Amino acid sequence: MSELVRLTDVTKVYQGGITGALNGVSVTVEKGEFTAIMGPSGSGKSTMLNLVAGLDRPSSGTITVGGTDLSKLGEAGLARFRRDHIGFVFQFFYLLPNLTALENVLIPAQLKGNTATGRGRELLEQLGIPEVADKYPARLSGGQQQRVAIARALINNPTLLLADEPTGALDTHSGEQVMELLGGLHRNGQTILLVTHDAKLATRNAARVISVMDGKIVDDARLESPEKAPSEVIRMRSEDPTALGPRKAQETK
Amino acid sequence: MRAVFVKALADLRRRRLQASVIFLTVLLAVGTGTMALSVMTQTRDPYQTAFEAQKGAHLQVYFDGVTDRQALASTPSLLGASAFGGPYPSTTVEFQHGTRKFSLDTFGRDNPGGDVAVLKITSGHWPVSNSEIVVTRSFADLNHISVGDSVKVVSVTQKPVLTVAAEVVDIDEGSADLSSQHAWVLSSAIPALTPTTPNSSFYEMDYRFATDPSSSQLAGYVDRLRASLPPGSVGGSVNYILIRNIFNITNQILTSVLVAFSVFALAATAAIVANLVTGIVISSYREIGIMKAVGFAPRQVVAVFVLQILAPAVAACLVGIPAGAVASQPLLANSSQALGLAYVPSFSIGLDLLALVGALFIVALAATLPALRAGLMKPVAVLATATAPRGASGRWLRLLANRVRLPQPIVLGVGDAFARPLRSGLTLIAILLGVATVTVAIGLPRSFQKINDSETSAGNMQVIVTRSSGFPDSEVTRILNAQPETARVVALTLQNFDVPGIGDPVNTRVFRGDASHLGYMLVSGRWFSGPGEVLAEKALLHDANLKVGDTFTATANGKPVQLHVVGEVFDVSNLGHELFMDWSTLAEVSPESSPEVYYVTLTPGANVAAYIRRVAAAEPDFIDVRPNDTGLIGPVKIIDSVLVILAIVIALIAIGGVFNTLLLNTRERVRDTATLKAVGMSPREVMVMVAASAGLLALIGGLVATPLGVVMNRLLLDVVNSSAGNDTPPIGYAAFNPLELLVILLLGVAVSMLAAMIPGRWAARTNVVEVLHAE
Repeated sequence: MSELVRLTDVTKVYQGGITGALNGVSVTVEKGEFTAIMGPSGSGKSTMLNLVAGLDRPSSGTITVGGTDLSKLGEAGLARFRRDHIGFVFQFFYLLPNLTALENVLIPAQLKGNTATGRGRELLEQLGIPEVADKYPARLSGGQQQRVAIARALINNPTLLLADEPTGALDTHSGEQVMELLGGLHRNGQTILLVTHDAKLATRNAARVISVMDGKIVDDARLESPEKAPSEVIRMRSEDPTALGPRKAQETK
Repeated sequence: MRAVFVKALADLRRRRLQASVIFLTVLLAVGTGTMALSVMTQTRDPYQTAFEAQKGAHLQVYFDGVTDRQALASTPSLLGASAFGGPYPSTTVEFQHGTRKFSLDTFGRDNPGGDVAVLKITSGHWPVSNSEIVVTRSFADLNHISVGDSVKVVSVTQKPVLTVAAEVVDIDEGSADLSSQHAWVLSSAIPALTPTTPNSSFYEMDYRFATDPSSSQLAGYVDRLRASLPPGSVGGSVNYILIRNIFNITNQILTSVLVAFSVFALAATAAIVANLVTGIVISSYREIGIMKAVGFAPRQVVAVFVLQILAPAVAACLVGIPAGAVASQPLLANSSQALGLAYVPSFSIGLDLLALVGALFIVALAATLPALRAGLMKPVAVLATATAPRGASGRWLRLLANRVRLPQPIVLGVGDAFARPLRSGLTLIAILLGVATVTVAIGLPRSFQKINDSETSAGNMQVIVTRSSGFPDSEVTRILNAQPETARVVALTLQNFDVPGIGDPVNTRVFRGDASHLGYMLVSGRWFSGPGEVLAEKALLHDANLKVGDTFTATANGKPVQLHVVGEVFDVSNLGHELFMDWSTLAEVSPESSPEVYYVTLTPGANVAAYIRRVAAAEPDFIDVRPNDTGLIGPVKIIDSVLVILAIVIALIAIGGVFNTLLLNTRERVRDTATLKAVGMSPREVMVMVAASAGLLALIGGLVATPLGVVMNRLLLDVVNSSAGNDTPPIGYAAFNPLELLVILLLGVAVSMLAAMIPGRWAARTNVVEVLHAE
């Protein structure tokens, strides 16, 4: 598989912050991978996602996505980059309330100058919600709204699908359905980067789990199969061996 | 209550930009309104003050020179007058000053005081010898004559030289740019200044009554005089109502304009305030829920919102009301100056309080109605309610925009314009009023220019020649026709006709030659083409109960003549009480008449100054030759200036309204904007989206407002012309061409889109991460 995303020594410090949201993180994501970024609240996982999407800029370090160094792009360039290469799914869906479901799906395509109505309807069909095309978000359930958001994220055939706690605002059943969808997309070749605080969700669906704590990667586990428990996986070494924590120490003992 | 104030002040500090918008719009609106109120309520006062102070004559009557003086002396008791002046021996004096020659009715009067028609001396002294003359200050200012100047009398053979001894204000005549003027000499000087030709002398008497008589009473007095004296004794009369109207016409027109536009300004401000409060309420749903949850009663919630609007409004009133009162002073000073009153700035505390209470009431009402919504909401409902609009508002616009394949940011912006229909509606009101006002401010001065051009025959006549009574008409005609540049000469005389139903003699313009080319505007009908045909103005037609096509019998010099109204003409002289006729009609009743004024049209390219010099040199003593003055008269200049200022004020209010709406929209939709940026909308595209929203509102507002402005222009023109006793001629309405209206519309769109720049930039700079992860 070829490399799609590379973070090199990325640090992000917010104004007024004493320590960084991200501290010298380096990681790569291969094309076709389903990678979960896991960690407690405030660990820096969403920050990492935002930086990869070009929604924010690192304080230092470089981020390359699909060969494009994001630091070389201006605001307009980043917007085009997101439009062309990124699909983003938010925890709270963020559908535009005065557009119908189909209109929401088509927005990114229309920003590129494409009509794509057929593809929009096709996506809604694939995601199991063809009947909601002409309905407004206020009339949709959470699960339906999230599916519409996923369709919106896919309309431009993005290189990379980013999902920030996509099941966070859903009930268990809807959340499972959404994860199944994401799994299905991955099986069809979509590269997915998923942020979650739910270890079970991460390990059940993703082939790789990156654990983040206090702005550093503390674990980076490739799973042979999604069903394997974390203790049985083959681990990748991070740049800082001490960041691996107790497990690594136990192995070397 | 303390909690309400604390919350309101805290919110005010947080919403400084909105507070500024309220402050500015209320300031402009209340300033304009105060100016209008000041002019409206104090318009009559200067004239009335001067009239009482100078014991103005309610009625002035001119009697034939051979009327028995004893009979004249008995007329005051006949009429029941409480005071009288005269009979003053009088004549028409023609004199030369510099290169100009003038003709003034001159009264022999030995002192300026008395029981009626007191003359207020503004400079110089009353004549002490027969070689001194007094003129009105208005006449002196207009013609650059000063106390001490010498004038040579040319209407009598001896050609005496008189010295201007004084300038006075005569409350019983209008200003020199609008009406003819009088002069005074000692009564012993009159015989030497009276030509020997018949009917060169007359008497003038002034009558004052215990209470102000009405027009019909004044007409009755004149009828009584005619009945009691030999036929032909009463030559003409002037009453105080006409003079007062002439004095006040400027302020009357200004008042109409100011009141109309003040109402617009207040309406636009109310719309903006209502919009603002609605927006604040919507953006504060969660806060309202919290307020209610911690114990604010519904009325206290309402009070919080109303107070944060009233605070900047009160501040605006405290600045705007004095500013409006000060701004009205030049207009009031203009009136006082004309009346010879020492100008004393006048401020009415009562009026200012009325303006304050009125403005705050309107603002409070505009704020309370949407704030009531906040007060009445259930806490649970507001805590759960989203801020951005939901649903189908604007969808059809987006579909239409998509159909014509507009870029997506424009499609979204266009849809957003009506996402909140009430807010959009209120904003449209502000835009409507702004664009309509600008349209009127462009059109009305142009219409006034057309009227001015008609009144002055601009472009149709370049030289005016006035003949002294002793110089033959045939000689004037010979001199003029001898000039190679003379293309056409139309001669004019003025003659009084008695018209049934009209108390005062009607001033009539009698033309010799083809006057139809002088540029007078016809309201209806046609120009006269033969004897007996006349044109009349609206006020005369109305008062005499006549219409175009009617025939009536008038009297001149005691002789009846049948007249047929063939058209309604536009002319503001004598406030619409005039007749126009051909010389052949006058010849039936006054064959000996000769014209005094000659309107000369020159050939294209002729040198006007050279022509004037040559004609004046041909007869330096007995003819006055001057270029046709086509400049705007003072009152029109004032009205034009006020219109421009009003248009700027209301346009600023409208821009404030657009800015305010966009600010509310962008702040409400900050999450949507962040989402759009997250899915790939660039900052420039965000600005385009916001600008498109503003542009569409301005386009719709302009499409309605521009024709509305044209209609308002017509209505205001009708009001103004009606004040001057005229209907508006059709050509007077043609102040615009379609291309200009399109330009006004497009300018409105451009200005609105400019107003969108600040909210657009704010939206474009939305930090996606901060906004979306603030949930």
